[in-house]
Amino acid sequence: MSEWLESAIARGQENQDWLAPKRAQALDVLANTQWPTRKTEAWRYTPLRAVERSSAKALDRESGLTPVAIPNVSAIELVFVNGQFDVLQSAKTLPTGLTVQLGQDLSAEQQAEALRSFSNIKPERHLFGLVNDALAKDVLLVTVAEGIKIAEPLRISSLLSTGAESHTRVLVRLEKGAQLAVIEDVQSQGDSLSTAFVEYDVAADASLEHYRFALQTGSNLTIGGSHFQLSDKSKMHSTIVGFGSELSRLDTDIIHAGEFADAKLNAMYLLDGKELFDLHATVEHAMPNGTTEENVRGIVADRARAVFNGRIHIHRDAQKTLAELNNRNLLMSNKAEINTKPELEIYADDVRCAHGATIAEIDKQALYYLETRGISKSKAQVMLNFGFINELIDLMPNEALAEWVRPIIRERFAQMEVK
Amino acid sequence: MSNLLTIKDLHASVEEKNIIKGLNLEVKPGEVHAIMGPNGAGKSTMGYVLSGRDGYSVESGSVTLDGADLLDMETEERARAGLFLAFQYPVEIPGVSNLEFLKAAVDAQREARGEEAVTSAEFLKEAKAACKQVNLPVSFLKRGVNEGFSGGEKKRNELMQMLLLKPKLCILDETDSGLDIDALQVVAEGVNSQRSAERSFIVVTHYQRLLDYIKPDFVHVLSDGKIVKSGDASLAHELEAQGYAWLQTEPAEDELEG
Repeated sequence: MSEWLESAIARGQENQDWLAPKRAQALDVLANTQWPTRKTEAWRYTPLRAVERSSAKALDRESGLTPVAIPNVSAIELVFVNGQFDVLQSAKTLPTGLTVQLGQDLSAEQQAEALRSFSNIKPERHLFGLVNDALAKDVLLVTVAEGIKIAEPLRISSLLSTGAESHTRVLVRLEKGAQLAVIEDVQSQGDSLSTAFVEYDVAADASLEHYRFALQTGSNLTIGGSHFQLSDKSKMHSTIVGFGSELSRLDTDIIHAGEFADAKLNAMYLLDGKELFDLHATVEHAMPNGTTEENVRGIVADRARAVFNGRIHIHRDAQKTLAELNNRNLLMSNKAEINTKPELEIYADDVRCAHGATIAEIDKQALYYLETRGISKSKAQVMLNFGFINELIDLMPNEALAEWVRPIIRERFAQMEVK
Repeated sequence: MSNLLTIKDLHASVEEKNIIKGLNLEVKPGEVHAIMGPNGAGKSTMGYVLSGRDGYSVESGSVTLDGADLLDMETEERARAGLFLAFQYPVEIPGVSNLEFLKAAVDAQREARGEEAVTSAEFLKEAKAACKQVNLPVSFLKRGVNEGFSGGEKKRNELMQMLLLKPKLCILDETDSGLDIDALQVVAEGVNSQRSAERSFIVVTHYQRLLDYIKPDFVHVLSDGKIVKSGDASLAHELEAQGYAWLQTEPAEDELEG
């Protein structure tokens, strides 16, 4: 076991708040968990040395950190600073039908209820999910009441100052027929370590629009998860944008726990320098007639490394499932690396399931041709290769959000060098 | 009159193999020079070296364009300085429309010269006129760059770019290859329409045929990486009659192309 994990367990044991029963379970599992090595399948390409070496520590909530402004998006803001909920920066009035509560503010009865939802959707196998169970303190509970449609997106920002360690946890519940858009966003100043996990319980006929931005680069260690449970005829549409950092790891789980549920997941990553980005996306089709469409696309430059593991598990009873998984990558240099692994496990006999993964290199001949016409190399590479990323940006349901992130992504790509 | 292009004792290699071995050439504004020679003489390599293609390294010598050190510039800077290379095998680029490509090239060059950008509407008008001049249907502006174009259409597309970019020095790399006589005439007429006192051409060709339509001021024979004979337009006819056997050099391996 690593010193870092030992210290995390010790810190988890100190905390005796309302979450103690769940925390004890997590600590039990953690105490019996091997610290991952290269032989641990889930961490095979993502070494955790950076976590072991990290000197990030719990810091007080620092004033002056504010969520980055997104033009033309008026979101309902929920803000964590260094892992602590920041009431002052968070929305004071909420639209009818939307409730946001801190776990410690609930009645004993409500807490007992909340405990039943905590770690109910997030699978136990995620090591840092367990760490988050043990160390998260300000747990937020977000509920959209039955049939209510919330027009403005809810934005959950986790802000970290330099050297901070933070563990944030949010439980989102959409009751029957409810609609909500959620933006998850971690912003770190450097040398930070964060785990940010959100569980989504999407009831029958409800519809969730989801965005997760992991745009912090450099020496930030960013680990997180978004875990979705879908019910009868519920819908979700998720967009993930990841830039790499010293360690950036995201686990997503989409669980079809009802029939006729529909899930779309579009993820894109753009990595430069020595960055690492690791996306493990799992889809569980436990019930019949579900559909899943997953598009994961990335550009990897310099000595950066991308890891994508896409698992689709179609259970015996999940007949008439339609599932597609596609992963496309562009390598900008011969030292860049992509480890991609689509995994299909199909136990039902009447399903349609397709997967594919491709890795392309930049077309130097086309690049040269454009340059001979006076077009700069950076502009040329955007013209030639931004299309397949742009297609996913075009699919973002929130146009204002797409227009905000598009130039950020394009600029990052334009700065990458062909080697 | 000062030279537009001056190449002095240029030595260049590809993958550590010397291809250009002491090339000297002077081109004055408005002149048309033809460079002829057998396969493997270094004709295409010369164009790639002058345009600054990756993998083509200059070992020694100098090249100036309008007095500026061409070898010191990036490929796109050379283009902005007025160099245009019409390719023997233009690249197909699916996913980038011809119009987007042409506009990006013109914008980049105008910006580099400190000129105002043209509006999309204005540019479309110019591009349509250029299409017409090289006998390409206007619908080609919407298609991917060279995507699915025939050999002749690709060459005409190269010519269209030249019309829009208005370079000072055009290098036409075997522009006649793969063209039937009608296409050849269209291309030649396009080139001739662009001849002016300010614009020079280097016409690289294996055959004399193109030079019946584009009359050169000078003809040079390139062999084994250097110019071994120069003369006026009549030299091309001599070569046509004699072939290249008199050079008495073993044709080297095929030139690296494309």
